[in-house]
Amino acid sequence: MSDTNLPADLPSNLPADLPRDAGKRLAELKNLFTSDLSVNEFLLIKQAGFHPLGLVMGSSIYHTGIQTRKWSKSQELTKLTEAMYNARELAMTRMEEEAEQLDADGIVGVRLDVNYYEWGNDAAEFIAVGTAVKAENGVSHRNKHGKPFTSDLSGQDFWTLMQTGYVPQGLVMGTCVYHIAHRGLVQTLGSVGQNVELPNFTQALYEARELAMTRMQEEAERLGSTGIVGVRLEEKSHQWGSHTIEFLSIGTAVGDTGGAVTLPQPITVISLDN
Amino acid sequence: MSFPGDDLQPSESIREKVAHMAAGGYLAHTGGRRGATSDLSIDETLVLHSVGWEPVELVCGASSFSIPAGVWLWNQGEITSASYAYAGALARAVASLQGECRAVGGHGIVGVHLEVAVERHLVNAVMVGSAVAPADGSRPSGQPFASDLSGRDFALLHQGGWDPIGLAYGAAFVNAPRRSISVAMRQSSQNVELTNYTEALYAARESAMERMQSMAERLSGQGVVGVRVSEGTVGFARHAIRFAAWGTVIRRSGRPDRLGEPSMVVSLGDESTAFDAASLRGG
Repeated sequence: MSDTNLPADLPSNLPADLPRDAGKRLAELKNLFTSDLSVNEFLLIKQAGFHPLGLVMGSSIYHTGIQTRKWSKSQELTKLTEAMYNARELAMTRMEEEAEQLDADGIVGVRLDVNYYEWGNDAAEFIAVGTAVKAENGVSHRNKHGKPFTSDLSGQDFWTLMQTGYVPQGLVMGTCVYHIAHRGLVQTLGSVGQNVELPNFTQALYEARELAMTRMQEEAERLGSTGIVGVRLEEKSHQWGSHTIEFLSIGTAVGDTGGAVTLPQPITVISLDN
Repeated sequence: MSFPGDDLQPSESIREKVAHMAAGGYLAHTGGRRGATSDLSIDETLVLHSVGWEPVELVCGASSFSIPAGVWLWNQGEITSASYAYAGALARAVASLQGECRAVGGHGIVGVHLEVAVERHLVNAVMVGSAVAPADGSRPSGQPFASDLSGRDFALLHQGGWDPIGLAYGAAFVNAPRRSISVAMRQSSQNVELTNYTEALYAARESAMERMQSMAERLSGQGVVGVRVSEGTVGFARHAIRFAAWGTVIRRSGRPDRLGEPSMVVSLGDESTAFDAASLRGG
């Protein structure tokens, strides 16, 4: 990247691992905001007393190492788990740094994606995108570490949550890359023609999910949260073949502010469009 | 290098076509009173009516912009000619869209569908949308706005005290860096970040977003909503990273916010038992 055409008033407090281009774009966001919120979400966020500041993102292209797996043994592949963790953390941290740059209270509508490109073998891009928001009344909504909160809630969910006295504190996730053992010939023959549970498969999937969810809970505990909403459990094989699966659980940790519940009583409607 | 922006005029033939439209053209048989053609749904038309606007005419804009030969060779840095052609194709398509809109007396275009195809030697951009105007028949002032928001979104923004003022977009094509064989060998069994790739992607993304932002600023907007990004490689040049971003620029209209507090509803229709708030996101 060339350093030409950079404005002189580039922020000096730019974190070291953010590319300079990012700082330049954010420095220009003063009277203008950008956001990937839909109009519905934008209006609801304004209604909740927040103003969007800008689209923030973080990304990292990461090369995952190799780990040998035993054909007949179910095990966690710690090296791959580490890679998935590190890469996502890099992307998330860079996104948070951009939000910090904009002096935001938090980031809503965060999406985490993994992209693969033709030109990189075993390399994947981890990207986190969201909209940085700030409270219009000047009250700080940062989490207990003094950082902007992150959340994968949509604008609608965010509005609803804010009416119940809860605030989002952070996007929490847990991941586990697990190798599920193949079944031996004897086992396979033994279950031909029968209705039986396959305990080794069940146990492997169980354990992998539990590991991922426990890690997510630990992250939420570190934030001092009272709960996690909107948890999703995703299973992905990426490019590792059918027996190696990443279990990713991800959700938004919320904290109770003790504020009043101002959610109006819902009206029931029967929609006539089909 | 300066990028073609909103100052670009449509080509001669398009201007002739638009003049023909303005003079009556294929609309002449309606006896001066136009029947509205639009691709808005009934619901959207009704919502538009509720805020005092109505559809006028279906308008379109198209442009092809050439890319010089040889720009797709695997070099370093940004592929500026491709980025330029992309911006040029979109700018011309928007200009002819606005030309058609003015010719039929619309104040702006909503629901613009944007189709862009990048080929080896050219960029094709096609835009179709519905020209809209206030029902009171007032004369348009200034440049018509173009927006990819639906009629419903337009009405909501209007109620909320905001006006769409135009489309902002930006694109960048960047060469992926090469990794030397020795580096690739060394990294093959490790968990490492490929920092040069990360930087190339950042460069593409930041230039595209910056172009979108400066376009929004030239339109003196206060925000860009519904930004959509598309990224990936280019089909015939796999080493090239493509990144494009576009959205609708909005500005406070000075009218008061008449949206009011939203009320919660629980739909009792069967289709809503598996209600998913994510489905409300645009797209």
